[in-house]
Amino acid sequence: MIELNTIRPYFEDKPDVLDEILGRYPEYGRRSAVMPLLWEVQRHERYVSEARIVEIAEIVGLTATEVRGVMSFYSTYHGEPVGKYHLQVCSTLSCKLAGSDEMCDHLEDSLGLVPGETDTEGLFSLQKVECLGSCTTAPVLQVNDTYYERVTRDELDALLDALRRGEMPTPKRAREGDNAQLGAAPLAGEAFEAGTAADAALADAEAAEPENPEGGAA
Amino acid sequence: MKIKVNEVELDVTPGTSVIDAVFAAGHDVPYFCSQEYMSPIGACRMCLAKIGAPRKDRATNDWILDEETGEPKIFWFPNPMATCTTQVMEGMVVDTISKDVKKAQNAMVEFTLVNHPLDCPTCDKGGACELQDRAYEYGSGESRFVFDKRHQEKHHALSELITLDRERCIHCKRCVRYFEEVPGDEVLDFIERGGHTYIGTLEDGLPSPFTGNITDICPVGALLDTTSRFRGRNWEYHHTDTTSLDDPSGAALRIDTRTGRIERIKAGLNDDVNKTWIDDGTRFGHEYADAEDRITRPMVRRDGTLVETTWADAAREIAERIAGMDGTRIGIALRGDATLEEGVAAKALADHLGSGRLDTAPRPAASVLPDGAAATLRDVATSDALFVVGDPTEEAGIVDLRIKDALKGVEPAPLFPHGPAIADLRLKERMPRKREILTICAPYRTDLMKHAGQAHVPPATSMVDLLHALAERASATVDGGTPSGAWDDALGMTAAEADALITRMRSSTRGVMIWSAFVSNDPRADEAARTFAKSVGAKTLILGPMANTAGLERISVLPSHDRYDYASMFTPETKALFLASLDPAVDPKVADRLRELDLLVVHAAFPTATSALADVVLPAVTGYEKDGTTLNVEGRLLPVRAAPVEAGTATDFTGVVKQLGEAFGTRLEGRSVKSARRVLRKLLDVDAAELPTTGQPLPPVRGKASGARAVREYARATGDALIVPSMVRVEHLDRNPHLRAERGDAALRAHPATLHAHGLTSGDVVTLPIGGIPRQLRVTASEGVPEGLWLAPTLPEQPVGLYDANLAAMVRERSATAEVA
Repeated sequence: MIELNTIRPYFEDKPDVLDEILGRYPEYGRRSAVMPLLWEVQRHERYVSEARIVEIAEIVGLTATEVRGVMSFYSTYHGEPVGKYHLQVCSTLSCKLAGSDEMCDHLEDSLGLVPGETDTEGLFSLQKVECLGSCTTAPVLQVNDTYYERVTRDELDALLDALRRGEMPTPKRAREGDNAQLGAAPLAGEAFEAGTAADAALADAEAAEPENPEGGAA
Repeated sequence: MKIKVNEVELDVTPGTSVIDAVFAAGHDVPYFCSQEYMSPIGACRMCLAKIGAPRKDRATNDWILDEETGEPKIFWFPNPMATCTTQVMEGMVVDTISKDVKKAQNAMVEFTLVNHPLDCPTCDKGGACELQDRAYEYGSGESRFVFDKRHQEKHHALSELITLDRERCIHCKRCVRYFEEVPGDEVLDFIERGGHTYIGTLEDGLPSPFTGNITDICPVGALLDTTSRFRGRNWEYHHTDTTSLDDPSGAALRIDTRTGRIERIKAGLNDDVNKTWIDDGTRFGHEYADAEDRITRPMVRRDGTLVETTWADAAREIAERIAGMDGTRIGIALRGDATLEEGVAAKALADHLGSGRLDTAPRPAASVLPDGAAATLRDVATSDALFVVGDPTEEAGIVDLRIKDALKGVEPAPLFPHGPAIADLRLKERMPRKREILTICAPYRTDLMKHAGQAHVPPATSMVDLLHALAERASATVDGGTPSGAWDDALGMTAAEADALITRMRSSTRGVMIWSAFVSNDPRADEAARTFAKSVGAKTLILGPMANTAGLERISVLPSHDRYDYASMFTPETKALFLASLDPAVDPKVADRLRELDLLVVHAAFPTATSALADVVLPAVTGYEKDGTTLNVEGRLLPVRAAPVEAGTATDFTGVVKQLGEAFGTRLEGRSVKSARRVLRKLLDVDAAELPTTGQPLPPVRGKASGARAVREYARATGDALIVPSMVRVEHLDRNPHLRAERGDAALRAHPATLHAHGLTSGDVVTLPIGGIPRQLRVTASEGVPEGLWLAPTLPEQPVGLYDANLAAMVRERSATAEVA
């Protein structure tokens, strides 16, 4: 609330941007503008602060709670500033089956971060996201707005090294060609093997389950 | 429309949801997300059933027949369907009991329980939990989920009144939908998504006057009433189904008590009145009944101090002291939330004493009974043109919600044998609202105005003139005539707006005009309002200041002559006074007068400024502990039932009259609830003992109902302080710690510019004499208050209306800045 009084409203000096966005929707559907408005703020500020949420809520006639509800549904929008390289691991079904959990584990180990964190230098942020819409090329890693597809362990290590040097390698586009060919195409390096993470979790759970022989103490 | 549910054939209305058809057929299906009076959304997937229907051949338009049986062939949907979002079809067949369906339901229970902590033994909902019941009925009884469960915040205070346990939440979305659909305050929403989803808010607390209802509708123990958390197990509670005496709406309540203490209040079901909703003042404002300082035994003043004694002693003392006194010098006053039975008792006492000095307080200057039949709350909910003068949200919260029903434009659904429709398919999330049918006029910006098509804030001092001008204009145009005379826009409405209002009200078929104490406390305004309503053909709903003001007026608990009213009781004419639950000594001038009385008898539940001056103090029960009858705003008689609360020898006013009668050596009518009801039967032709919980409409009196006459003191049209209605009863605030923590101290609201002009800041605590009564109030800046006007909440001793604030005598008790430091 105190922020409101001290931070200049984002759209205060951008009436044309605001009009253009609001103009895309009829007056009764003004609330639909919430998504492009959030995007506009994030594109320029790298995240959407609470003060901006309140501002957008007032513009479209919603409560701040609703704007936050919409915003938090999409992992695209950030409530906190993210690092220079925002690593987004697709964690929906196809990628999971192709080893995205293992890819994420590998990233956690390499970067010393858990999903949702940013490193102290502000270089890397790690996040698990929902479907990136590239199921045929699973597992997918999105770095900022760039897709890296059918990522292998070796490629991932090379990618992290390049990013640390400040280079963004040209992404391998595995999407071209039909699915049958893709499946047959050789992978560049060791693939993430799906199931190992889940198997380990199950084994842990079973090990934690106390032995309860018949007639034994509860 | 004929359908079949598990071999039960039944006839249902087209548009019915399948889930209601299943219940109507006497079968059961589990559900979590559907909720009476709210939109069905099919979120929980719990109400799955196998559904099939016959099909027609497109070419011939004949039913496709089963070759073997020759009957119409049933085509089954390929998957189990959510019955709450499916509408019945002719010839539909529903199966809720086969093995396939059980398997699907069982799987849904298992899914729902995946992330549920199963902490039922320490959960306040345990024993009265929909999830617990459904898991027993439809679950497998065994968990296959061996992984870690999701962990989330467990004791999150959404507000001072509501605690959220995020682990228990099953994401049914009832609470989120409730806020959007019922009060229209969208203060809760889902945050995040998938398994991480939780209920949250970005607002400061839950800024809505109707938040408590989410604790009733939560199907699990996620949303809990903070006043009752960890206070008892559900099976230990004694339930009392009664009627609220908090405001005149007559909302149904369920009071849960345990070992002589009120632990919580939940909303009761009364389809015609409050449906299943109550406001926060009513729900959370009960803690005072269990306050430490309850008066539990009679007290008599001996050598200057009040000492405890027996009822018989106290009554004897009173009888001795009024023996030989001129009856006309004795006054009796009840608070306006006394039951009809107490009214009968007070009348019997007045008759016995030969006194016409009998009144209720606060009582507006004009009658609160309508001419002819009142609009019912159902009329309000189905109205197509509403004109509201006042602030119904604060005066009778249920009226606010019924007005919001009207904006949706959905007729109330008829009741099923199993109750209100579980899934009324006409209700939708984010329905368009017909705001244009609602016009509100009040001397400050009210909460309801944000839902109104037209909102007018006339100066408080010109409300009466505005109503007069409207009435004149409406009368002049009754037969299509043209309005004569000039219109003064300074009244707070332009001529065009006035004409539009008149046209809208007149052209509607179900117009309702609602007004409140702002109007009733001035007889001229009241007359104007009645004239306006009549000339545009609108029904009227008059909000009285107290729960039973209308009922007490109806059975003529009124002074015999104008000059014997409540105000007259504080003149030297009066020698003895009986005051029930009233505290006029908050006015120092009145307190001086009370000291001069020969006898002051105070019937009160708590020590007050007045009881401190009394010669005899008699212990009173609160509105939760009374048996009796009340008449609500729409003229419906409703039963009030006593919850078992420990209050020593406290009684209602019939108990007082019984003891006094014994001391006088006579049997007075109204010496018990039962004897008072014999009188009521004669007066109203109703057996009050037989009233159902949902009450019964009382036929209106013929012709002009008003037996009430002006109370001179209250009829004012000038002043700079406006006493406004308050959902939270300020007189109980000190004894309602949770409600006080959430809603704050009694507020002195004013425009920021006004505050600035007087060197005040939000948060300052001041004592300001308003109309002679020193009021301790917390200063609150509000843009919705016109400049130069001060708003303070009403007390029973200070009815709604305009007063003079003695700003020169204002004392700053605490400054906001000092408190921070």
